[in-house]
Amino acid sequence: MVASTLPVEYIRALLPEIGLLVLAGLVLGLDLFSSEVSRQRWLGWVVAAGSLGIAGLSLAFAYPVASPRLLWGGALRLDEVGFVFRMLFLAGVGLTALFAMQVKDLAGKGEFFALLLFSALGFSLMASAADMVMLFLAIETASIPLYVLAGFYLRDIRSAEAGLKYVLFGAVASATLLYGLSLLYGMGGTTRLYDLEAALRQAQAPLEMVAVALFLVLVGFGFKVAAVPFHFWAPDVYEGAPTPVTGYLSTASKAAGFAVLLRFLIGVFAEQTAFWTLLIGILATASMLVGNYLALVQSNAKRLLAYSSIAQAGYILIGVAAGTPLGATGAVYYLIAYLVTNLAAFGILTVVEQVLGSSDLKALEGLQQRSAPLALAMLAALLSLGGIPPFAGFIAKLLVFGSAVEAGQIWLAFVGVFNSIIALYYYLVVLRTIYRFTPGVEPISEIKPAWRLALGICVVGIVLIGVWIAPWYSWAGSVARVLWVY
Amino acid sequence: MGHEMLNAWLYIGLFTLVAAALPAIAIFLAGLLSPRKPNPIKDATYECGVETVGPAWTQLRVQYYLFALAFLIFDVESVLLFPWAVAYQQLPLFAIVEAIIFLAILVGGLFYAWRKGALNWQ
Repeated sequence: MVASTLPVEYIRALLPEIGLLVLAGLVLGLDLFSSEVSRQRWLGWVVAAGSLGIAGLSLAFAYPVASPRLLWGGALRLDEVGFVFRMLFLAGVGLTALFAMQVKDLAGKGEFFALLLFSALGFSLMASAADMVMLFLAIETASIPLYVLAGFYLRDIRSAEAGLKYVLFGAVASATLLYGLSLLYGMGGTTRLYDLEAALRQAQAPLEMVAVALFLVLVGFGFKVAAVPFHFWAPDVYEGAPTPVTGYLSTASKAAGFAVLLRFLIGVFAEQTAFWTLLIGILATASMLVGNYLALVQSNAKRLLAYSSIAQAGYILIGVAAGTPLGATGAVYYLIAYLVTNLAAFGILTVVEQVLGSSDLKALEGLQQRSAPLALAMLAALLSLGGIPPFAGFIAKLLVFGSAVEAGQIWLAFVGVFNSIIALYYYLVVLRTIYRFTPGVEPISEIKPAWRLALGICVVGIVLIGVWIAPWYSWAGSVARVLWVY
Repeated sequence: MGHEMLNAWLYIGLFTLVAAALPAIAIFLAGLLSPRKPNPIKDATYECGVETVGPAWTQLRVQYYLFALAFLIFDVESVLLFPWAVAYQQLPLFAIVEAIIFLAILVGGLFYAWRKGALNWQ
């Protein structure tokens, strides 16, 4: 038997994935044998508690050993990159499940939570994949449930449109990525990420061909992180998808994209660093400018946050473009801060959309009178997105802009700061809408405890990540350090 | 490229030509030799012996799709189980356990579809 000879290390490397699979199976089972009422009441809690449990188990047993190790025939790498990003995905899944409990059409659906967990399983594998075949399979495992989730409201035309657009764009991006991976395999003769760099050098692969492969691979990852010019799907999909799913898409999915982007660029294209740092710098500039300028003219809150999330991808790309450990640290820190911030913003939109049946900016009018705590939470989220201290976004922006200066890309830091100012304008316009006195608004009632808890965690996270920096910084730093070890 | 390899490709080319020519000749000869006596019943669209009704561009119920999907899964399952069953005598325990897990997953899927009412015709 093979199983008896498996070292415990092999199981440890897959612990979060195994946990997610078991949890998804449990959710599907509960879905079959329970009534609609009890599903509405418990299913989200089961998912959230399960993700917390998996995170705890991983923290206790799957914490990476001193030096990174390749396991499962080189398919996975047990290191801090995988670990930190998995924690991020587990947090994203748990919070999204709690937010989704507020929505009647989602809370009773076992398949909704199961799909959420399956996509998290794919993200987890993406973050630790060290082999091109494994990487591609992981991306597909993560993407296919997301296509379904985006189109989850079958009877809603806009949700169906979102699902279809996401599938079509995603399929083309996957095909392009696969083409790039096949070129790399053709030149290097290996599918292992950490052998590829040496193999390319040894085979004296022509520079133009490596550049073509880099472009093609970037299309695939750029789609995942919604960077310009691969962002066209984002506004429509974000607007049409169920709002908790939108929050999940804009945070966890983006983080997964950045995990593979960092690993790939630093691990495989180390030789071409000067080339890709410039390329990523251009992508970052384009993402920030396009995202922010188009966000200025939006009248729908979900679309506005979609364009804002494109711009945020641009800020994170500044950290990637630095091509230094500080830059990678900043990018990971940004992703941690962005997770709680954006989930909070979309969580609040979930409630507003549910109560008023609209996600237009008009629906936010007088939110302060409807519910002061909600308005305050939105204030924290939007100011954090805008990069105002003492919220999480400030430290994150400080780190990525600082890394640009350290790497000698002062122009990029300038572009970033300039864009932050533009972005602050439309965040403040939303806040003005929320806080301006509006006659005749009803207070919001019927907020579920699960939703309250999730929003509470997010707001505490926004403040905590902005004030108590050390633990998150050391996590992000350990990711950055291990990215350069191969 | 060696001589033998070239010869092998030549064979394939010849076979392709013959394969295309044989049916073409048969159809041509049939057209030349057969008597031609058309009538309305002969000219009607043939569809498995049933008389055709209405245009062919009709919408099918989406439920067919679910059944087709469930059928397809078990169709593929049987194909995959064939080599397993043939080699059953020589297989190690691990392979048998694997096949059982595979079956269990599919049975679980069928059970899920059944409980969810996907197999009820509405």
